[in-house]
Amino acid sequence: MKPTKYILLAFALASFGACTDGDTLGGNDVDDTPGNDDISEPDDTSGGEDNTFEHPGGPDIWDYLERLAEEGPPEFSSRMHSCPKMTYERIGNILQSRGVDLNAQSDLSAGFLWRNGAPALGAPKLEVRSRESTEITTASAAKLFDIFAQAAPEIITAMPTLAACTVGGVGTEMFTAEGACTIDGIACLTGVPATVAHLELCNEMVNRASTTTKGQEIAVAALAAAAHTCE
Amino acid sequence: MNKAKTWSAAFALLLGLSACSGDPQTQGNGPGDDPGSVDAGPTEDAAPELTPFEEALEEREYDYSAALRIAALRLTGDLPTLTQLKSIETAGDQKSTYEALVSAYIADPRFADTQVEFWKNTFKMGGSAELDSAGVLAAQLVVEGRPLTELLTATTGTCPTYDPNTQIFTPVDCDNGVAVHAGLLTHPGMNAHFTSNMAFRRVRWVQETFACTAFPAELAPEPEALSDTALYTAPWEFTSISGIANGGDIDFLDYESVVCANCHATMNHMAPLFGYFDDLGILSGEIAVPKPVDGNPPTALIDWLPDGETTGWRVDAPAADLPALGAVMSADPRVAECSVARAWNWAMGKGDIVDTLAAVPQAVFETQYNDFIANGYDYKELLYQVFTSDDFVQF
Repeated sequence: MKPTKYILLAFALASFGACTDGDTLGGNDVDDTPGNDDISEPDDTSGGEDNTFEHPGGPDIWDYLERLAEEGPPEFSSRMHSCPKMTYERIGNILQSRGVDLNAQSDLSAGFLWRNGAPALGAPKLEVRSRESTEITTASAAKLFDIFAQAAPEIITAMPTLAACTVGGVGTEMFTAEGACTIDGIACLTGVPATVAHLELCNEMVNRASTTTKGQEIAVAALAAAAHTCE
Repeated sequence: MNKAKTWSAAFALLLGLSACSGDPQTQGNGPGDDPGSVDAGPTEDAAPELTPFEEALEEREYDYSAALRIAALRLTGDLPTLTQLKSIETAGDQKSTYEALVSAYIADPRFADTQVEFWKNTFKMGGSAELDSAGVLAAQLVVEGRPLTELLTATTGTCPTYDPNTQIFTPVDCDNGVAVHAGLLTHPGMNAHFTSNMAFRRVRWVQETFACTAFPAELAPEPEALSDTALYTAPWEFTSISGIANGGDIDFLDYESVVCANCHATMNHMAPLFGYFDDLGILSGEIAVPKPVDGNPPTALIDWLPDGETTGWRVDAPAADLPALGAVMSADPRVAECSVARAWNWAMGKGDIVDTLAAVPQAVFETQYNDFIANGYDYKELLYQVFTSDDFVQF
């Protein structure tokens, strides 16, 4: 058996058991320790009655095998970019650099939603040893769209004055005077060069709305939320 | 930065790809190959059949604009500016323009912010000044171009502070009763945050953070059969750790359900070094971690190791105290590989290498690893190498 397979097998086996304690123990696992009530982790494996300790759980081996089948072995998958969730801090940075007031007090403002949206956006909980999630969830995607929907008017208004969207001393408008999307506006909003397809999609969203203003806000929110779903 | 190194990386990766694809002599007519070369190309007999995964790699295309967005987000925490996007679009030499922008991102003051965020997340420590200081120390080493091994060996300034408004790091000595510090190994926040029975949570954190694998950490060349169904796989003598039979209260020599010693052989040789920190991370003159038996008394040395056994990082790497542990760890190539793998995974958007089993074969980052060693464990330089690697700029 190759060493890597050997390690994997040993790891899988270790995940399903724990050490016995002879005759001296009575189910006193880690979390029975006075004052240590807060140190269990969600994926801990429980010890059996009278004869095992609680041990930390590990990654789901079946999920891993499924991922291997989908993404290929690490020799390949590790060389391909993944699409992790945008981190909580980076969402704030993007909002701020694109003209959103993160300190806004209105409970319908984008800043308020971001400040109070850390759990839904998968922010880390380091005080309980939990890293920021890299997984995109329905809740995080929905919250992100809510935030960009509320941020859209601020972004549209601020864009011509934003340093991030200024080229050669000239600011960028998100929309022309006629209400059409601009290719530079889309690029500054999404962080990648805009294509004709982007432009057509943006204009379609503007044109199909009941009013131009609503259409522009929907277009900005949709483009931003889609582009920033992952990094 | 060094253009030659980048080409070396590309060449090495191409070689690596060939090595993974069967007979290397039949390879060579990939999309980027010179059509005028003398290679006659694959014949019907010799043509290797690519797996779908190999085809996906072959079909990637260079996209410096897409790479710039990711690099900007990871290195500065924000999107690239419109001016930067246009500079890539209009550049005659997109590669050089991209590399210059990556250098600028790493020199940007915001790089310190993203490093603090990255390391706090990596360490799973934050939320108070003391816990933050572990990630801040790592970020300080990176930003200042100091060897990352100081995470395990630094004797002073191991509880620094960071002002996100000015991006200034201020060295502060940890004050937890330790005479000679060893980077994060003696850090009060780490020892408090990962306190547990018998110091095993601290040991696990050290293993997973710096060696990038869960336990079991060591494998013997040949496993030893303990029974018809139980294999002992660690390289230590089976009885080198405690059990009921040799004086301990916990039977780490049990193998009825699983072989405890497969993991605990390594763990028990390391745990006593961390056992003298109490639940606040303060060093005590006595063993200060409880034992999970009735009454939760303090652990005794005999509960980890029988008489005569000594502590260590690995079977061939003894360590009498935490500074010695830091020294042997920082000399372990697997610890350096782990650092490079973490940088690689961060750049490529992967989950945690241990929690999500996002393994990276050493061959994938061999060039960056060699440079990391040659550059004295300079993580800032490593990040430049990774973010400008051939794999990073292809999609």
